[in-house]
Amino acid sequence: MKISTLFAALLILISAALPLVIPEAYLYLIGLTYLFAIIVISWDLMVGYTGQVNLGHTTFVGLGAYIAALLQTPLRIGIAVHPAVAIIVGGLAAALVGFVIGVITLRLRGYYFSLVTAILPLVFMQTVFIWRDVFGGEEGFSIAGYALFDTTLSKYYFALILLLVSLAAMLKIVRSRIGLRLMAVRDSEELAESIGIDTTRYKVLAFVLSSFFAGIAGAAIVNYRYTVGPELYDIPLMLLVILSAVLGGLGTIYGPLIGAIVIYLAKNWWLRDLISMASLPINDEIVLYAILIAVGILMPRGFFHELQDRLKH
Amino acid sequence: MRYAKAVLTAVILLATITSLCVQSGQKAEREKVVVGVIGPMSLPEGMAEEKAVKLAAEEINAQGGILGYPIEVVVGDTKLDSNTASTEFRRLATIENADVIIGGFSSGVMLTMMETMAETKTLFLADASSPAHAKKVAENYERYKYWFRVTQNNGSTFALDLADMVKFLKVSGYDASKVYIIRDEHVWTDPVVEALKPLLEAEGVEIVKDVRVPRGYSEYEQLIQDAESMDADLIMPILAIAGTGDILAKQWATLKPNLLLAGHDLAAIDAEFYNKTNGMANYEIFIADGGALVTAPPTEKCKEFVEAYKKKYGHYPESHQAYGAYDAVYLYKMAVEMAAKAGEKDPFDPDVLVKYLEKFDASNPAELTRPIAFYKNHDLMWGDKYVRNWISQWQDGKQYIIYPDSVANGEFKLPPWIEK
Amino acid sequence: MIDVLLKIIVFGAVVGGIWGLVASGFSLIFGVSRILNFAHGAAFVCSAYVAFMLISSGVNVYASILAGLAVSGLLGILVYSLTRPVRKNEVMVIIVTLALALLIQQILLVNFGDRGISIIPLVKGVVELNNLKVTNMRVTSFILAVVSLVSLDLVISKTSIGKRILATSQDSEAAMLIGIDVERIFILVMVLSSILAGFAGILYAQIFAISPETSLRALIYAFAIVILGGLGSLRGSIVSSFIVGYILVVTITFLGARWSEFVMLLAIVTILVVKPTGLFGVEE
Repeated sequence: MKISTLFAALLILISAALPLVIPEAYLYLIGLTYLFAIIVISWDLMVGYTGQVNLGHTTFVGLGAYIAALLQTPLRIGIAVHPAVAIIVGGLAAALVGFVIGVITLRLRGYYFSLVTAILPLVFMQTVFIWRDVFGGEEGFSIAGYALFDTTLSKYYFALILLLVSLAAMLKIVRSRIGLRLMAVRDSEELAESIGIDTTRYKVLAFVLSSFFAGIAGAAIVNYRYTVGPELYDIPLMLLVILSAVLGGLGTIYGPLIGAIVIYLAKNWWLRDLISMASLPINDEIVLYAILIAVGILMPRGFFHELQDRLKH
Repeated sequence: MRYAKAVLTAVILLATITSLCVQSGQKAEREKVVVGVIGPMSLPEGMAEEKAVKLAAEEINAQGGILGYPIEVVVGDTKLDSNTASTEFRRLATIENADVIIGGFSSGVMLTMMETMAETKTLFLADASSPAHAKKVAENYERYKYWFRVTQNNGSTFALDLADMVKFLKVSGYDASKVYIIRDEHVWTDPVVEALKPLLEAEGVEIVKDVRVPRGYSEYEQLIQDAESMDADLIMPILAIAGTGDILAKQWATLKPNLLLAGHDLAAIDAEFYNKTNGMANYEIFIADGGALVTAPPTEKCKEFVEAYKKKYGHYPESHQAYGAYDAVYLYKMAVEMAAKAGEKDPFDPDVLVKYLEKFDASNPAELTRPIAFYKNHDLMWGDKYVRNWISQWQDGKQYIIYPDSVANGEFKLPPWIEK
Repeated sequence: MIDVLLKIIVFGAVVGGIWGLVASGFSLIFGVSRILNFAHGAAFVCSAYVAFMLISSGVNVYASILAGLAVSGLLGILVYSLTRPVRKNEVMVIIVTLALALLIQQILLVNFGDRGISIIPLVKGVVELNNLKVTNMRVTSFILAVVSLVSLDLVISKTSIGKRILATSQDSEAAMLIGIDVERIFILVMVLSSILAGFAGILYAQIFAISPETSLRALIYAFAIVILGGLGSLRGSIVSSFIVGYILVVTITFLGARWSEFVMLLAIVTILVVKPTGLFGVEE
């Protein structure tokens, strides 16, 4: 057995044992962090492996969330399917939208994909306000009573298992022939085409898979906190995803995973206290964005790659 | 192998995080009362809540605390994000062991926090104005009974205020028979307009148009001219989320149309509004949400509070959330003391306190910076004798309450360019 | 009907002119340096905030505005220096400029709050055209915007510096070979474009009001416009900023204000589907 496998097993064991030592409120946060990590690694699956910057990943988080929420509670559109079904449908719907958008935008090279995806979440957010009888407008709505789990402990394990399954699936994908071809497309589109790879097809495939996991994560978040709201589409969430993935190191899956966990916990936990101690006219977001700029310039390959390089030498 | 070390680092990282948070959690003998305050701490609303709660705690502690226990204030930041808010609320409730949590702000975030409140069974003396919140208490009392709206009235009561405003203008000699509504594209304005329609109809007032604008909307000049061409007598904004009430006021003052600007504009309540619009907000009539204004405090206690706030922080409350948060601390103290007096075994038990807070009803309001009483669904009671959104006007850099007479400190002034 | 038409023409033109200033610079930066400058919206709001701050502390209005424009220009230099080390890395260029934009937005939020600020209009009064009231400030802004855009176009197409800019945007390596100092051209374009955006911000703050959130809004408008006009095409962005202005005003007039944003965004997405290179763009 390889050492890395052993460590992975150990890590999973620790995560599974956390509820024994950690108070419920932090457990709740860590579970939420796992769901956030799914969003981040699914973003990496697209951006890190195809080099196409998706600025509208939250479109799919929000879509998954709203669709699952609408299907779960009979109070909105009169349908009440089992939460597990709703979550999967949420993921599939996100994947479908991802497919349509991918087919349209990924034919073109350059920045078009980034520009279009940057606008997408705004379009979807408008739908929430305009058809607010269905989507609940700015306020969102609650699915309390129709969610998958009702204790923090069960929610925590649900989030952990979902993260592990998604992680395993995405690792499987990037290590398969698909993953290799995606990286070929990223590194040189011309070269990839010359050896007979249908670059658009692979980019769309990566986008669809990435959207699917984002949708699942969105739907899971709704089941985790019992409410859905337009902020799941919104720009701040998108930025947090970018921040985590870039700090961790694009195109590594593990890097963004670690980045997601560190950043999300930092932002929701100790960063604010740290900053209020400094008593400067700044907030935690200013600090995070400054770090992002610094990392982007000084080590554009992210902490994870840096770390790997240091360890190798 | 090369991943192994990375994984190792992750383990160490996780272990550090774990060890960081193991220390807390156990419930000990009571030594203090923990008051949590939660809000968006980088925005004026949250800052005002935090400062007001701390001021109240300081005052109460100087007088011996609550039943002899000193108050400790713990702060949570929602960052206006539902995920963060639910996490922070849970932290305050279960790690910091807050006996009561005060604050909130923003309907969607509040909706999420109410779920956490129900799970952790924490008393929540809250802000935000959506009718959906009180409805939850009415529909599922046992689950949501810990929630009380303290800071401001249910948003749908704006209909009553707006109808009164139109009536008051008529009495003051400005007959507004045609009204042009500009409102947020948001759920909160729907019940307002729904309730407003019959009230205005009864007065013989016609709504000539009802325009909804999205967040960040700026092209009001077209709407103002549209209103003028429809012979409207007043433009009635019902704006909070759009965030651009200042642009409306500015463009109204620039175009000088022959109609009043009178309605609810959240931005206009801000004491800095006049400066930020370079004085172009002059003559705008607005509704002072939260039942208090720095320039016209409705009660003696409110006057003292406003001055104490200024003394401690160097400026007046930056938002009306301050009044509610300040009142909430005193309200909590009153409820605990009532429970103790009645011989309750644990006067800090939230289930017990709900009963005592409910005693502040129509016949028995708590006289704080505003007189506070609750309806059966724990909504803040509306009325001249309780809290209502005072009809006010900007006049030469100062906010005046112009209606009702019991609290008014100024008179309605017609903009000089209007001829009716 | 004439009234409605007139209203649409007048209001659409002003909105188009202001966004044209923002979008043309955005497009120019992209054309020359292939940098998608997400911090462009920050230049738009910063000038207005600086001017507002100085005016409130009693500085002369025109001096304040000049100072605001200077700060916008400095922001251009900042963007240049931050993106220089990562210019070859498309992903990082997007991320660094985006982070800068949000950093600035948060700094404004912390220091000025989320409510808007506005600058008192330099030109007062209203003109009446066939029952339609138009503020003189709008008229002035329109004229100033058009003058700036036309002179920008003239500078680019007629002067020698413009020719160097054009050469760099067509092929920066070839431009370097024929002795053009490409880096200087980059800086020049960055500064010039940021000042244009800053100027738009000053005009906008006089007609409307500016809040930290406006920076993202300006950026999105710039996006929409350059997508429509075609990435890197200066004339394309100028023309399409007026088209976007008219889409906006027509939607407000006929469908209602609530649809304004939605229709504009949808129109952009539709155009991308039908003609992804925009109206004047060329496929790379």
